[in-house]
Amino acid sequence: MRPVHQWVWGDMDRRVRKLLMFAEVETDGGRDILRAAELTPDPLLRRLYLEHAVDELRHGVMFRERGTALLRARPAKPRGLFDGTPLPGGHGLDDLAIDGEPDHRLLAFLHVAEKSAAGRFTVYREVVDDDPDTRAIFEQILRDEVFHMNYTYTQLARIRPRSYKRQVWLARATRFWKRYLRIAASFAGFMGAAMLTVIYFVLLPPFAWFAKRAARRDAPGWRSIATDRIESPASQY
Amino acid sequence: MKILGVSAHYHDSAAALVVDGQPVAAVQEERLSRRKNDTSFPGAAIEWCLEHAGVEPDQLDAVVFYERSMLKFDRILTSALRAFPRSWRSFPQAIKNSLGEKVWVRGIISSYLGVSRRKILFTDHHRSHAATAFLTSPSKRAAILTADGVGEWATLTVGHGVRRPDGSTDITLLREIRFPHSLGMLYSTFTAYLGFAVNEDEYKVMGLAAYGRPTMTDRVGKVIRRTPDGAFELVPEYFEFQTTASRSYSSKFVDLFGPPRSQYEPIDLETSDGRRFADCAASVQRVLEDVLVDMASALRRETGLTDLCLGGGVALNGLANARILAESGFARVFVPSAPGDAGCALGAALYADRIYFHNPDRDVPDHPFWGPEVDGTELARAATEDSQHALQLADGALVDRVARDLADGRTVGWMEGSSEFGPRALGHRSILAAPHSSAMRDRLNRDIKYREEFRPFAPVVTADAADRFFELPPGGARLARFMSGVFPVRREWRSRLAAVTHVDGSARVQVLDREMAPRLHALLEAYGRRSGIPVLLNTSFNVAGEPIVNRALEGYSTFRRCGIDVLVAGSTVVTKAADAMSTVSQEALA
Repeated sequence: MRPVHQWVWGDMDRRVRKLLMFAEVETDGGRDILRAAELTPDPLLRRLYLEHAVDELRHGVMFRERGTALLRARPAKPRGLFDGTPLPGGHGLDDLAIDGEPDHRLLAFLHVAEKSAAGRFTVYREVVDDDPDTRAIFEQILRDEVFHMNYTYTQLARIRPRSYKRQVWLARATRFWKRYLRIAASFAGFMGAAMLTVIYFVLLPPFAWFAKRAARRDAPGWRSIATDRIESPASQY
Repeated sequence: MKILGVSAHYHDSAAALVVDGQPVAAVQEERLSRRKNDTSFPGAAIEWCLEHAGVEPDQLDAVVFYERSMLKFDRILTSALRAFPRSWRSFPQAIKNSLGEKVWVRGIISSYLGVSRRKILFTDHHRSHAATAFLTSPSKRAAILTADGVGEWATLTVGHGVRRPDGSTDITLLREIRFPHSLGMLYSTFTAYLGFAVNEDEYKVMGLAAYGRPTMTDRVGKVIRRTPDGAFELVPEYFEFQTTASRSYSSKFVDLFGPPRSQYEPIDLETSDGRRFADCAASVQRVLEDVLVDMASALRRETGLTDLCLGGGVALNGLANARILAESGFARVFVPSAPGDAGCALGAALYADRIYFHNPDRDVPDHPFWGPEVDGTELARAATEDSQHALQLADGALVDRVARDLADGRTVGWMEGSSEFGPRALGHRSILAAPHSSAMRDRLNRDIKYREEFRPFAPVVTADAADRFFELPPGGARLARFMSGVFPVRREWRSRLAAVTHVDGSARVQVLDREMAPRLHALLEAYGRRSGIPVLLNTSFNVAGEPIVNRALEGYSTFRRCGIDVLVAGSTVVTKAADAMSTVSQEALA
């Protein structure tokens, strides 16, 4: 995957986009962990989650500031890439529903997610060698990730001394399954959009003609509401 | 009769429960899910409302959805057809959104609650707004004006309401303006153009407007034209919200106003671009106000009524509300605590109660506190476990202690009783601070709220002292009850109220009656005795991007990670121990 990462990070627009996307993902993830801190009955975990959440939120700020700095330094802003178009957001902790999630599952999940992120960030750190400021951010975040990986594992072993390894494997499997679901949902979404686009161009033109004709008759301004109109409480129309 | 109101799927979802004609619970989903502006089906809010009132779903007489979802779908489809073929990109997404969940709302509610489909009723979007505005106000007879982005088809309506002595109620909407001509969409388009989040950051445009001059009103006048009948139209060439979900303004709009601001660029008012953005905000604000004042004045002449109830998201614009009060001829203007879509959950339930079921009119308690209560013992337990300094104090001692902390320049997270229904913190989930110096404002923006420098903070003042510090016109105190108006700070007090005085000398003041929040009122008086000024800075208890806190533990987690010095929940007071966090890492890895 390294050549792909090099290709992605080699281009300034994509680099900015990636950094800003990471900012969203880290911030969302931070909020999820914050929620975990608010819900856990375990005082030590509450403090750790809180510290972890603060780290993630800080990472979000670092990514955002760096992305913004690069954005500002670009000579020209290609229209349509950033202006008025929302950048893709993240899904926090893989769409994890924090409410109702027991601590052992959350810790296992966090451990696996942090380990995976640390692996990716190590590669990213290498491929942005030409950009010391961005590289420094990855280095700093990697140090935090080590703490996150370690505390999640240690605490998992504390609260599930007999089954903590199994929990980690389960978390890996769940993560894999969710990744599959995301890809499947994206594919289904793409197919759905393609079919609707075909319908749009094949079936809609005559209706569009009538709709446009009707629109021309619609004068702007006030439109009276019949005061004797009988409302139907049960109708969705 | 037990009626549940539900609003969902577009802006902030919410649920509200009305029992025997009175609200008993109302809460936005975001306060429970902790996702800001949560638009999902408000399952948690519904469950909380029912549990709070001890009502089982099968005991409900009706569940009222706040709009007619198929009529809304009709508008979405028709708009796509009218924009053919330019709408080809947005069409698949719009259809998937609507057919995926939104049009099946009857089935969703029915299966979620396990109630008969016959019990599920609908109102018009703007009737829900009108009901929220009129039926929660103390007015017996009032003109009604609702304005927002868009409901089903209507974007703005005018009418009137009456609550008769015999208990019957009528809400009559006379006229409407239809999509795509919309004041809410106009303002949201400028919100997007100025690099802020649509449906969320419109108030930032209002804050920014004070830094600019309305030098572009003629240009704004090109994108919104007045019609001969006193209404307005948006000129379609300048907008794209009818054709795409990704951008609301067109290239022609950019040609007219210049390059848009990137959401990642800070607004620097020292630069020409920064000043242009501020002027742009001031101009659209001025035009919005002018249009609303004209319409309200015409409605006053037409109805001859002295009271006006304002509803819809546009009613959150405190500058416009204050001008309507000052210039339209209405003696009193009422804006509910939740005039936006969340408030429609309550409006829809009240509308069904009074209009569909013809139940007798009842006065609705005049306060916004319909949400979950805070539990101080939860805070005390968490703080003690974390080696923070937690104290339990009786009311009088607590008020004195907090007043002293505030006078010493500390910031206080203040959680009391039931949470507010609506976007404003009105004294039950607030961050309080001394209002005197701009350094406090800067500190709050930098260390606590993490937000833009140009955004002002609001003051809260006791009702009997309000006139001393603020230039309130007749009816101003009422409008300021739920922080719905922006009024000038008296010139002689501006330097001593620097943290809450905006750059143009105004403030979005909350005027507090003792009956509405007795403990906060006592705190203001105690602070007044110490400082000579019974005014506090009052901002919502959250940090940027998060919903206002609800439970004590949410307040606590916010307190732990930002610069708030003191946290109060119920009778528990916690003072920050600076070194508590730094020992955690060692403990974890041991």
